[in-house]
Amino acid sequence: MLNAFPSGQLSEIVGPWSSGGGSLLLALMARITASGNEVALVDGADAFDPASAVAAGADLSRLLWVKCGGRLRAALGAADLLARCPGFALVALDLGDLSLTRREFISPALCLRLRIAAEQGDTALVLRVPHRLAGSAAAFAVSVRRREPCWIGRPYPTRLGGLVSEAFVLRSRALRPKGGEQRWLIPWQL
Amino acid sequence: MAALRRIACLLAHEPALEGTPAIARDLLEVALAHSPRVEQSEQGVVYLDVAGLHGLFGADDEIGRRLARAAADRGLRIRVGIAHSRISALIAARRGDDVTVVEPGEDAKYLAPAPLSLLDPSDEMAARLGRWGLRTLGELAALPSAALSERLGSEGLELQRLARGEDPRPLRPWEPPLVLEESAEPGWNAESLQMLVDLVTMLVARICAKLVKRGLSADQFDWTCRLIDGTVHEGSCAPAVPVHETAAVQALLRASIESRPPRGAVEAVVLRARPVRVTPAQESLADRSRPSPRMLTAVLTRLAALVGAPQIGVPALLDSHRPDAVAMESPGRSMRSAASVPNRCALALRRLRPPLPARVTLTAGRPVHLHSDRLTARIVASAGPWRSSGEWWTEHRWIHDEWDAELAEGTLCRLAHDGSTWWLEGIYD
Repeated sequence: MLNAFPSGQLSEIVGPWSSGGGSLLLALMARITASGNEVALVDGADAFDPASAVAAGADLSRLLWVKCGGRLRAALGAADLLARCPGFALVALDLGDLSLTRREFISPALCLRLRIAAEQGDTALVLRVPHRLAGSAAAFAVSVRRREPCWIGRPYPTRLGGLVSEAFVLRSRALRPKGGEQRWLIPWQL
Repeated sequence: MAALRRIACLLAHEPALEGTPAIARDLLEVALAHSPRVEQSEQGVVYLDVAGLHGLFGADDEIGRRLARAAADRGLRIRVGIAHSRISALIAARRGDDVTVVEPGEDAKYLAPAPLSLLDPSDEMAARLGRWGLRTLGELAALPSAALSERLGSEGLELQRLARGEDPRPLRPWEPPLVLEESAEPGWNAESLQMLVDLVTMLVARICAKLVKRGLSADQFDWTCRLIDGTVHEGSCAPAVPVHETAAVQALLRASIESRPPRGAVEAVVLRARPVRVTPAQESLADRSRPSPRMLTAVLTRLAALVGAPQIGVPALLDSHRPDAVAMESPGRSMRSAASVPNRCALALRRLRPPLPARVTLTAGRPVHLHSDRLTARIVASAGPWRSSGEWWTEHRWIHDEWDAELAEGTLCRLAHDGSTWWLEGIYD
């Protein structure tokens, strides 16, 4: 599924907290940095955990981290700047904090601008959002939802083993489902 | 017929002063006053080529005495060694008192009785040679080279070559450090910020032209403005990556000066650049190209205006068990290749920075309810505590008991207790 995120386009990972959306974004960042390419992360709420990224296999030395301190306009502006700078294989904009996206309205024109920025910079611009924002401006949108947590230990849990989440494609200009919706069950491990 | 090679080595008379910066500078000036081919080693020892000086100054011993007198005029007592190679000259200077000349072709014979310690071998090598019963350079030089190479490798072979006085590497001529500085004193006062920026822009163009001519970039720019009231306004800025493009540097300096303008009219400006040589951004045609330094600098400058420079960087995990021990490093660092790490589906933690204080209700020692500004819910499952602590020997000791918890609506979160307060540290996503 990671191969489905198109380069030079805007994509969305949609899902609430603990759905696996953040882990999916992290897996994408890890895949790209581990292959020797550069990634820029615009962190809307300063929530990025480098230790989780290393556990996912990311090369932190190829990651540019921009912390926005909860300021939505700064995050959108930073993502626009970085998407237009050639050389980044992925620009990730993490708006997974609900309070960020409720505070201000993100207009369709803004999303269109982000799409154009991704096209100009030939970079994959991926939004991590709690609900759909980009609409038709996104060439690829995947929804992630929580199936069940994995607790280890009986009779009562002794540790959290991970989380199983389900991802399915909401919108894709490239992928054409052959026999129905494309769904993936992903076991995230802690 | 090959020219006779003669190298002189200058050392301070007192061993404790060898390598000190002031002494090294004086020795360099004495050497440069006598020969154009001078090498300054990393330890501050100075070598000079005296092969062509016999017609000017006489025989080797006279050259040595002349060097010693020149040093004495500066208040410096030195020892001089003159020989065929650098190593022979160095050992001659160390063993002798004032001026020691090793005749051409006599290097190996002169070095033979010298102690091995004069070669400065590594501790491990010195111990091994000592266990073999070797004490002098002659004993080391007499060993069969092939067998020595098998037992001690290339390091042993190199030591043997030096013990024989063989050092064919030519001198690396000392070059004065490059100073890139431009100044302007236009005769009129720059009374507005725009006038000052125009002046600086002109200086930047000149400096960047020099950088490009030499194939260099600059990693820091410093400016000094002399105001009409006699005071001085100084500033500096460092681009995220070394640059030499005029437009990028002009934009950088404009932003820096505008953020901290001088408090009066400026009558003179001096701009200095610190030159560095940079490696290419794309080391192999098979690699994907990285953001160009010029573009990256411009983008980072604008990002810094948006979010603040300290908020931008490359994350690096610190060598600590303290939770969230992370540092932000400059994005200008050269990218390293990662060690191979197994790629797995890792569950990500979204950290709350700072962690939110929480009220946690416990039953039988297990958390059953969470109340915080961000999340309030019943806890349906939990695991912990995972205890850690550290830095107990300092004033910053910490205690950290972690709990993983599942809330009634399904959110997975991490709680922590530091001995007195509960915190909501993050949410698994």
